[in-house]
Amino acid sequence: MRWLTAVLLIPLAALLIYVSGDLPDRGDPDAPANLHISPELVALTERDIKIPNLVSAVLADVRGYDTLGETLVIFTAGLAVLLVLMRGPRRADGTRPSANTRSGPSARSRDR
Amino acid sequence: MTEQHDSIILNFVVRVLLVPFIFVFGLYVLVHGEASPGGGFQAGAIVAAGLVLARLTAGAEHGESRLSTGVLVWLASAGITIYLVTGIVPMLMGASYLDYGVLPLEWFNAVAGHERTNRAMGIFIVEAGIFMGVFSVLVIMYDHLTQRLSDD
Repeated sequence: MRWLTAVLLIPLAALLIYVSGDLPDRGDPDAPANLHISPELVALTERDIKIPNLVSAVLADVRGYDTLGETLVIFTAGLAVLLVLMRGPRRADGTRPSANTRSGPSARSRDR
Repeated sequence: MTEQHDSIILNFVVRVLLVPFIFVFGLYVLVHGEASPGGGFQAGAIVAAGLVLARLTAGAEHGESRLSTGVLVWLASAGITIYLVTGIVPMLMGASYLDYGVLPLEWFNAVAGHERTNRAMGIFIVEAGIFMGVFSVLVIMYDHLTQRLSDD
């Protein structure tokens, strides 16, 4: 199987190396990526927001809705960690309900 | 990691030198996010790293005494709420969601003597909310991942 991976990846690498010569220089102001919406964002930041950090302006203002979603994703991840790992209330016999589910898989792996 | 070893060198280097510096640097990254690389996500990660370092050296039993999980969940929720309310207030003022330009913050320039635009202040408020959320979530994750280890 390894030779098949090589057969697939070596032409791909050759293709990528070949086309990399046509990429614009880094930081080229005439590159297509810098001609589409970037001038508008620079003008908007200078006119309306007036902060030096363009990245913050785009992240928190122009794409504020996107950043709100990112923050909610992180918040949800924290809540998920709490739900999975938080220790539950003790039972009357002193054990915790989560202790049984926790020892289950590890006990099985010990038997193997 | 689960038991505390008293080491003067470790306590001095971490608690006196490193952790306060990390906290101050993280807050600098937060408040300077509009002018230099930084912002809420980065500042939250830096300050959370400082608190995790303090908890690593203090031991699992003593580490969580300062900021409990309940406080951290409230802090994270407050951060998200700040962001959401900052989005809703412009809607009440007649603009679209998260349009900071109409936030009623002109009085702040008069009080502080700054020349900041409403949008810049809206960005800062939002970044502060992100900071609270990211910081709390990272510390919650550390607490609960190590709590399980120290339990067994």
